[in-house]
Amino acid sequence: MPVAAIAAALIVPLGLDGDGYAIRVIALVFLFAALGQSWNIVGGLANQISLGHAAFFGIGAYTSTRLLIDFGLSPWFGMLAGGVLGGAAAALISLPTMRLRGHYFALATLAFGEVMRVVANAWTGLTGGPVGISVPYSAPGLWMLSFKGTLPFYYLNLTALVGVTAVFVGIRRSAFGYRLQAVREDANAAEVVGVDTARIKIQAAVISGALTAMLGTLYAQMNFFFDPDAVFGAAPISVRIALIAIVGGIGTAAGPILGAILIVSLEEIANVLLSGQVAGLSNLVYGLILIAVIMIQPHGLVALGPVFRRPWRVPAVDAAK
Amino acid sequence: MALIQAILDGVMIGGVYAVISIGLTLVFGVMGIVNFAQAEFLMLGMFIAWFAWAKLGLDPLVGAFLAFALVFLLGLAVQHWLVRRVMRAPEVAQIFLTVGLLIVLENAALLAFGSDFRSVSTPYQTAALRLGPLFVSVPYLAAFAMSALSGLGLWWFLRVSWFGRAMRATAQDPMAARLSGIDVDRMRRLAFGLGVGLSAFGGAVILPYLTVYPTVGSQFVVLMFTVVVLGGLGSVAGAVVGGLAVGVIQSLSGLVFPIQLQNLVLFVVFIAVLAVRPEGLLGKAR
Amino acid sequence: MPASPILEMRGVGKRFGGLQALQDVSFEVRRGEILGLIGPNGAGKTTLFSTLVGLHRADAGAILLEGRNLVGLKPHRIARLGLTKTFQNVALFMDTDVLDNVVIGALLHHPLPEARVRALACLERVGLANIAHKRAGDLSFPERARVEVARALSTEPKMLLLDEVMAALNAVEMAEMMDLIRALRADGLTVIVVEHHMKAIMALCDRIVALSFGRLLAVGLPDEIVRHPDVVTAYLGRAYAE
Repeated sequence: MPVAAIAAALIVPLGLDGDGYAIRVIALVFLFAALGQSWNIVGGLANQISLGHAAFFGIGAYTSTRLLIDFGLSPWFGMLAGGVLGGAAAALISLPTMRLRGHYFALATLAFGEVMRVVANAWTGLTGGPVGISVPYSAPGLWMLSFKGTLPFYYLNLTALVGVTAVFVGIRRSAFGYRLQAVREDANAAEVVGVDTARIKIQAAVISGALTAMLGTLYAQMNFFFDPDAVFGAAPISVRIALIAIVGGIGTAAGPILGAILIVSLEEIANVLLSGQVAGLSNLVYGLILIAVIMIQPHGLVALGPVFRRPWRVPAVDAAK
Repeated sequence: MALIQAILDGVMIGGVYAVISIGLTLVFGVMGIVNFAQAEFLMLGMFIAWFAWAKLGLDPLVGAFLAFALVFLLGLAVQHWLVRRVMRAPEVAQIFLTVGLLIVLENAALLAFGSDFRSVSTPYQTAALRLGPLFVSVPYLAAFAMSALSGLGLWWFLRVSWFGRAMRATAQDPMAARLSGIDVDRMRRLAFGLGVGLSAFGGAVILPYLTVYPTVGSQFVVLMFTVVVLGGLGSVAGAVVGGLAVGVIQSLSGLVFPIQLQNLVLFVVFIAVLAVRPEGLLGKAR
Repeated sequence: MPASPILEMRGVGKRFGGLQALQDVSFEVRRGEILGLIGPNGAGKTTLFSTLVGLHRADAGAILLEGRNLVGLKPHRIARLGLTKTFQNVALFMDTDVLDNVVIGALLHHPLPEARVRALACLERVGLANIAHKRAGDLSFPERARVEVARALSTEPKMLLLDEVMAALNAVEMAEMMDLIRALRADGLTVIVVEHHMKAIMALCDRIVALSFGRLLAVGLPDEIVRHPDVVTAYLGRAYAE
């Protein structure tokens, strides 16, 4: 099944215009599926609903772009550097927040993302501020991650998705994955049978944050131009990533992929149909659909995902016990 | 002297922060739900006050009552039609419902009002009172006074009136409240309506010294979270203390840091409190 | 019984806000014994267990496991030293299968492939090897209690705290569980049991510790405890009257 899907994804572009709209949308689906999959490591396996993953994404986008502008460094190195910084930021933020659950954790991570956005907007020397920043032009080629068309990004994003999914599946099947899931189910019970829950949570956060940051580099290279609100924004990045994983089926490998197909296409349809008209309309529709989905299926957006059959365990609303 | 002036300013704006954040803590206390869209109701309050000023010639301090009333009604509806239905749903559905509400309100405002920055002009806009070597800006003072007034009103409501006692009973134990004949759903509606209404009220009274635009809410998100977490999520008295504390912290940090980094300072406070005392500074240790 | 103490509690205290849940509790646990912990509801039995395994931190006194003070250690460190417990409100991971629930404990000392083998052995020890691949959420209550025991066993403890593993069992199941506990002791394990069922405690335990309102009432052989005047007034009088 996965092999067939990858094969199909490899062949599809042959029938499409390499620089066309469809290729770009599918490339975006891959990118956001990969992001959802990175989020899934923390959100799915440990059930910590992060609404602040934009922080890592933005760090990745700005790190590689900055290194490219200031030192002409290949974005591949930028990606590594961004990954390291993203992982470090994740470790830093998970130290004070790892004991939090449910609403508290969502609150803290959302605030983290928002602060990064505000700081990025203010720190114009580094980020260009609200005006945005352009990725400098390099001669096309894989080494500088710079291409004329979109097709190379289609394949790069696909590779990223396969890679991140492999990491996710590998983790889930490993001893580390067992421990993470034990922490999700009952942290006290896990501790008592020898799981260092604090360490496990930090490790998961670091992996998730680092991967998210690395994907930020891909986004920057693919878009040439971005601003703090685009990469650090709660709605366009943090909420979207979480939603993609949740809608498709939280904690499953197929979930973020299905979720990305659903959400990104929905957004594109809304954009095509509505966006030409007035600012805000497509986002409004997006929000309305989100609310409608929850109203129709309050016991799990997840129930929409065909692969998902897990009844939700609802952790009590408590901060830290 | 700059220090004392900063503390005074901090208390003035902190009073408003308390009122705009009370709703967040009230809703959490009664329902166990964090309303991520709370700041959007503040934005609505600002817009209502602006239109009341532009179309009806009402001073925002008067328009605040209109803002409260309209958003209160909206809150009742939102609770009845939306939030009530996820009360028993998984947390993730609760979180994403209010996140969806945030997106809807923000973009609806963008559609309806455009992305312009709007502000009001009032006769007292630039006035200041002199207290010896200290100055008190009149718009700050007015906003503070109005906030104190609404805070007292809420205190009376929660402590003295039957509704308030019923609401607190609901917060403590919905099942017991239901058994003793309290209409729990109604109490929750009331709590949500009051909560968002107060945020709208607070938004209106700060309009004389701020501008309103559809995404103004995002300026207040970290601030409101910090206020309620400082005071203890769910504690109304805590929100008052938290609001004043955040006002003073912000004002003092303004002496040292550029204005853009004040949110960062607040965030550090926020995270520190969450890490060390997640039950809030006033909360009981569990 | 000449055995040296495997565990010593010295003046252990724990306070929650205004409630003194444990006060000045001191006793010894001998290597290889089955020790019963009894007391009326709210006596502090569960708090004592949680404090022993590090879920609560004692705010007075010392807890020595083979001479090493456990106070201040996290539960996973204490588990590594060989002390773990089962949960009163069974805390299994309901969505995964039985074997996975046990593997998590075996991972404490073994890498994954080996941990699965170890886990299966533990399931066999408690007589559940045949349901290793059932979903934990679908188990009957007696089965769950046994899976809890298997999970605790998989950490290869020296000492095991069993928190009401016999609750809700019928007479036959209870007898089987008691046989299992005796067999574990025969393997060299030291066991402390909390149980409400007095007859089971009396039949199973070598010695008994009685708590009331967080204080130690008495320590002794089962017959001594039954006759101890303080215990009788605090607890047994009522239980026997029923």
